[in-house]
Amino acid sequence: MHIKHLIPAAVLWVIITAVGELLVIANLYPTVGSLEADDFDWIFRFLLAIGVPVFAFVIAAIVYSMYAFRSAKGDEMGSTIRGNGWFPRIWLIVTGGLAAFVMVFPGLTGLQKLQSDRTAYGWGDTEADVVIHATGAQFNWTFTFADGTEVNIIKGKELVLPVHQKVRFNIDSVDVVHSLWIPAFRMKIDAIPGRTTYMTVEPTVKGSYAEDQSFRVQCAELCGLDHSVMNFPIRVVEKPEFDQWLASLKTGAK
Amino acid sequence: MYAAKSVSGGIGLGLIGFYLGLGFIALLRWTLGYPEPWGGEINIIGGYIFGLIGWLMGVGMWGIWGREWFGQRTYPRKAPGWQRYFTFNTDHKVIGVQYTVTFIIVFLLAGALAMMMRLELANSGMQFLSHAQYNGTMSLHGTLMIAVAVAAVIGGIGNYAIPLLIGAEDMAFPRLNALTFWLVPPVAVALLSTPFLGGMETGWTAYPPLSVTTNSAQIMFDLGIITFGLTSILGGLNFLVTIMFMRAPGLSWGRLPIFVWAIFATSWIALLYTQGFAVALLLIALDRVAGMAFFNSTAGGDPLLYQHVFWFYSHPAVYIMVLPGFGMALEIIAHFSRKPLFAYRYAVGAFLGILGLSGVVWAHHMFTAGIPNYLHGPFLVATELISVPTGLVFLSALGTIWMGKLWLKTPMLFALAVIFNFGCGGVTGIFLADVPTDIHLQDTYFVVAHFHYTIVGGEIFGLFAGIYYYFPKITGRMYNETLGKLQFWWMFIAFNVTFFTMHLPGVQGMNRRIADYQSGLDTVNLIVSLSGLFLGASFILFVYNMINSWIRGPLAGDNPWQVRTLEWQVSSPPPLENFPTPPVVQGHPYDYGVPGSVHGVFPGQKLGGVPVVGGGGGQ
Repeated sequence: MHIKHLIPAAVLWVIITAVGELLVIANLYPTVGSLEADDFDWIFRFLLAIGVPVFAFVIAAIVYSMYAFRSAKGDEMGSTIRGNGWFPRIWLIVTGGLAAFVMVFPGLTGLQKLQSDRTAYGWGDTEADVVIHATGAQFNWTFTFADGTEVNIIKGKELVLPVHQKVRFNIDSVDVVHSLWIPAFRMKIDAIPGRTTYMTVEPTVKGSYAEDQSFRVQCAELCGLDHSVMNFPIRVVEKPEFDQWLASLKTGAK
Repeated sequence: MYAAKSVSGGIGLGLIGFYLGLGFIALLRWTLGYPEPWGGEINIIGGYIFGLIGWLMGVGMWGIWGREWFGQRTYPRKAPGWQRYFTFNTDHKVIGVQYTVTFIIVFLLAGALAMMMRLELANSGMQFLSHAQYNGTMSLHGTLMIAVAVAAVIGGIGNYAIPLLIGAEDMAFPRLNALTFWLVPPVAVALLSTPFLGGMETGWTAYPPLSVTTNSAQIMFDLGIITFGLTSILGGLNFLVTIMFMRAPGLSWGRLPIFVWAIFATSWIALLYTQGFAVALLLIALDRVAGMAFFNSTAGGDPLLYQHVFWFYSHPAVYIMVLPGFGMALEIIAHFSRKPLFAYRYAVGAFLGILGLSGVVWAHHMFTAGIPNYLHGPFLVATELISVPTGLVFLSALGTIWMGKLWLKTPMLFALAVIFNFGCGGVTGIFLADVPTDIHLQDTYFVVAHFHYTIVGGEIFGLFAGIYYYFPKITGRMYNETLGKLQFWWMFIAFNVTFFTMHLPGVQGMNRRIADYQSGLDTVNLIVSLSGLFLGASFILFVYNMINSWIRGPLAGDNPWQVRTLEWQVSSPPPLENFPTPPVVQGHPYDYGVPGSVHGVFPGQKLGGVPVVGGGGGQ
């Protein structure tokens, strides 16, 4: 008597899954501006691909039951299965297996890549081509390059980064907790007073805030009154152009 | 007028206490030679504490409890009818209703704040709020809703139903229970005073150093939430003792209704972890008034320390919010499927498993906070491990409706929606537990959508299920079923459109807690705002249905849902001390359709034509 219901319910599950998986194909993401962004989008899609059938299973079971097992009055009794047998054990094995799988891949493997040494991924101990010290303050960012050049809201007015170069941000804050987030690069780390945090990115495409709003540094940790407008434009250019820009700021300072 | 006497006594003594406290601290400061005896936050703290005591005593605690401390006779106020709800009443059913109604009002208020936020966010640029007003609105919305989520189901439905479900006369500590409720109005006053002190600007998370340097609204938040934490701990303690020691004869742990198990697990979490939040906010308060510099990095403090202590409570807190929702949903699903609860032992295991794991996952809120790299792995693993016990709740719910006879009344629809919504919230949780995706999604609208799916979808829908389910028991009258169903579908559709869409701006680069955003996100925000306003409107229908049905709904009878558990075997509403004759439990509560099965019997009394058997095993 289960089979009679299992087949249509399974068909419903497959249909909902198929519709849901369109989300995996859809481009829901801002510009892919860095290696890290590429990884994020890939992992996000992978998790969506796994998550959709799980949610679809819940929907299918509820929708099918509401249709097939509905009862207009409360005086009919349902089947007396209690679920003491093999089914809960299988369920436990399947959900446990799925959880373990997601934990390892893409969880721990992705984390390992993020923290691996001498690459441009995130929080590893990177040999960076460009090191920038970012300081958060209510409600502005200041970026200091290795040669002492400062970029802020008055001077420079935008942060220019070289494409295909490993860029390391060392981050701290002078007042409250901020967070340095660049949506196009999918990377974020908090700016904490009294300690220096860091992250690394490798921009892979050229772009600028003027054309694409995801090229910006955005404060992502509530920092007070003007938190929402604590952002800073980014422009990614070729290396020579970057060098030129940096040099121009230097002469401008003198 | 007992009610007027009680409330005016509370307000009067509360105000006197408040000014006494202010003055007392000022006197102390003057005596000790401080330059400014008035106006410091330390005065507010004194005023709050004295005011709190005055309020409690005035509202009736003095007569029913306080006199005893001085060897005098206590005199309980026996207020009739509706006036009971405005006095220091020890009946758990009265307290349950007090909690439910209070938190529904708070819910509507905080919901109105959300409507203001969505109006402001309907378009980029500033519409009608300033940055400060937006931050204050957002912080107050968050804080009030957290309070609703922590206390509405456990305090409201839990207080009402738990003693009835286990066949007890009342809670283990009835006066403590009344105290727990009457501590809530001062919390509301403290939180609602924040806009007049400049408005909170830290959100409910109150991260230092901002919370140390911000305006004095913060100190009212600290005091209010510490008080609220106290109610949570006392309530949890009361539930634990009640459930452990006051079950009816024969109601063994294996026969306990699943909602009772959920409240049992929740109460442990409340008892074990709530002080973490109180400690965190106490440290903030001390930093502010005494310059302790716990979180001032230039003086050797560390802002990250706060986040650890805070999340050590505030992650388990999400299970304080959602476990009662799960319990309510499973309870209702079993009764309205007319079928034994599927895999009962696994569902109990799920609650205990979540209880066990809840304390070891807190740092997943801090993946981007600059914690050491080696901490990410363990917290990622522990967090994703929680999906296994949570999956068992789904096993139980879906297994129960399969092959059942689903009676799709309003409570059942809400209970099924809990499972549906949490399915989505659970799946998006994986994205946030996974460090590589969390780096981008942390502190964005993806998180906002996720926790509204889990907390509103998982718990507030459960709260509404519980309210509709117990409405006939509480009032003796039946709500309007058509309006109930209409409200369900309205709320369900608007909720899903609003919050499912809300994931998108998060992925695309809209961070949370902002008064303004990038113009590229206009369209999606307009959709969210419109459907959010639509969602808000659905509650008007609920309020109308409740008030109208309470006054002139048709009489419901004792057991309109034809349910087996004990609370439905007594009259609606149940008499004082619940059971005319003490019940004895002889079988499982959910054995629908099992020939010859009985749950509770009342020796010495005939019930529903079933010949009553005496005896039954002890605990």
